[in-house]
Amino acid sequence: MRSGLNGKVRAHALQALFIEAGYAGCEPPILQPANAFLDHAGEDLRGRLLLTADGVGEELCLRPELTIPACREWLAQGSPESGQISCAGPVFRQRQAGPVEFYQAGLENFGRTDHQAADAEVLALVLGAVGKISKVPLHVTFGDAALFQHFVEGMGLPLAWRRRILRGHRAGKRLRDITDALTPGDTVDHSGVLAALEGADRAGARALVEDLLAIAGIASVGGRSANEIADRFLEQAGLRASGPFPREKQTWLEEFLQIGGEPDQALSDMRRLATVADIDLEADFASFETRLGFFSAHGLDVAALNFSAAFTRPLDYYTGFMFEAHETSTEHKNPVLGGGRYDHLMARLSGGRTIPALGAAVWVERLSGGVHG
Amino acid sequence: MAETAPALVLCVPSKGRLQENAHAFFARAGLDVVRARGARDYRGRLAQVPGVEIAFLSASEIVAQLAAGTAHLGVTGEDLVRESVPDADTRLALLTPLGFGHANVVVAVPQAWIDVATMADLEDVAGAFHARRGERMRVATKYVNLTRRFFAEAGVSDYRIVESLGATEGAPAAGQAELIVDITTTGATLQANALKILDDGVMLHSQANLVAALRANWSPQAREAARIILSRIAAEELARTTRELEATGLTQASKVAADASANFNASSLVHSATEITFSVPSGKATALADWLVGQGAARVTIRAHQAVFSADNPLAEALFRHLA
Repeated sequence: MRSGLNGKVRAHALQALFIEAGYAGCEPPILQPANAFLDHAGEDLRGRLLLTADGVGEELCLRPELTIPACREWLAQGSPESGQISCAGPVFRQRQAGPVEFYQAGLENFGRTDHQAADAEVLALVLGAVGKISKVPLHVTFGDAALFQHFVEGMGLPLAWRRRILRGHRAGKRLRDITDALTPGDTVDHSGVLAALEGADRAGARALVEDLLAIAGIASVGGRSANEIADRFLEQAGLRASGPFPREKQTWLEEFLQIGGEPDQALSDMRRLATVADIDLEADFASFETRLGFFSAHGLDVAALNFSAAFTRPLDYYTGFMFEAHETSTEHKNPVLGGGRYDHLMARLSGGRTIPALGAAVWVERLSGGVHG
Repeated sequence: MAETAPALVLCVPSKGRLQENAHAFFARAGLDVVRARGARDYRGRLAQVPGVEIAFLSASEIVAQLAAGTAHLGVTGEDLVRESVPDADTRLALLTPLGFGHANVVVAVPQAWIDVATMADLEDVAGAFHARRGERMRVATKYVNLTRRFFAEAGVSDYRIVESLGATEGAPAAGQAELIVDITTTGATLQANALKILDDGVMLHSQANLVAALRANWSPQAREAARIILSRIAAEELARTTRELEATGLTQASKVAADASANFNASSLVHSATEITFSVPSGKATALADWLVGQGAARVTIRAHQAVFSADNPLAEALFRHLA
């Protein structure tokens, strides 16, 4: 049920290269609280976890990846202002194919405020290290979660639409399906309530909801407050008043998500679209350009990288730069390495502290090249 | 004790309504469940079929034994099969629903959520809840796997499961969860706890099933015992689902018989120009009787059967097909 010795050797060979580059070795426990993963990735992950429990019934799992255990370990050790750590070892997942136990190597970079430089350093380091143990050329794709988020936020859409577009996109839904979706609640005719609420303020909406509940004889609200229910009615009333999704904005969003390819060209495409849509993303574009500069400084061939504006992951803790790489020569549809900036994860794990963080992980078993090239 | 090992192990629920219903069911099928040494013993036999051992177990333990292949046949709820055996199709065969133990596995939310009626509403609310509080909505349930599958199909991902092994319906009021997935027969318990079922929130219509373990040791003796048990169950099922009608005083019996078979799915035996016996699905019996009177019948009697044995044994055939 475990991947071969080869995986272990490769993982530790990679970690040795990370340590050499200043990423101190770290050995987080294999047994982890299941909540650490389920809270951040959601219940969908549960089917892939190897679960167990301790004597008092706390749910535990064998670590399904290295990033969250490494972050927890670093925070538990007092977490200085900044730090660089690396891990290598087995991770465990229930999978359709492949062994349950397999090896990964990863690195995490905490506390750097020069984001673009740190982004480039991590990408260059992981690509360089993988290049030393496998000679198969890699095809690198990267994206930026902040760019799409700021583009959507800059369109002046109602909050409910913004939330649904960003969540739907992360969940892998097509934009057309997100915007075409019925306004929730349409299946039950609340139009009377919604019409009454159009233009109402929060206090008025709350009073209405409380009255409705009192009339229906419902005493306990349970879980959500009357305020939350009132806010959702107000939100729907707002959507009802604003009508169907504006066609022009739909087109801009679709065009944005289609942008991709050579990074400099993609940047100028995004600049042009932002001008047309009258959305000020200059700060994001400047940061994008700075990052490309650091890529070059680290010896990466920028023109050979592939940018994708639609690049996303079904995890909401990624806040900016994200990347993955595939072997060009194989039919593997899965990336051999991936990573990105996850500031939100550190905020949640640390109880609200602002700690810039990014990392990368290598699926060593997917590398087809020999251990020493 | 020098008892020979049983050829076939049949699991029967050991407690409550399911037990009573299962015993009544087997009795109707002419199979008497005998407890070896009084009502407290957990093993028994079938009076009419040698080589069969009855294991009295909880419904969930029955599923576990069948999945492991340590028992051959068992009576248990479809809900438990779907929940606890991920690769059910390779391990188990649901041979036939038994007509009792009806219950639905449902998604229920507080009645106060007057803005939530569908899974799409729930998806929207779950997203807002997560965004607002930084925590995911909690779903209390013992159906962890069914919930995960159903919610994934409905596109709901912003939630956490809180495992609940009893009194799940009380979890929202106790502040342990925001909503629940639970099994319900009438919905009365949910209502009493100020919960409502979502319009599209019925995950499974469950009832007691006769389940076969595909990985058990199906020796020739086990197959023969299964064939006898299943032929009696099929006979009971056929008796339960069909009625016999006898019509007298007709004038054109053969034409009436042909029309009845076309319109009522009835098979018939024409005794004479005036007298026919029909076999008809039980739901259509009274309609057929009315119609026959309209066709000139002087008298129509409807009878329920005790058991109807037929030359083919569909349940045993289904089992042997699965085993092949």
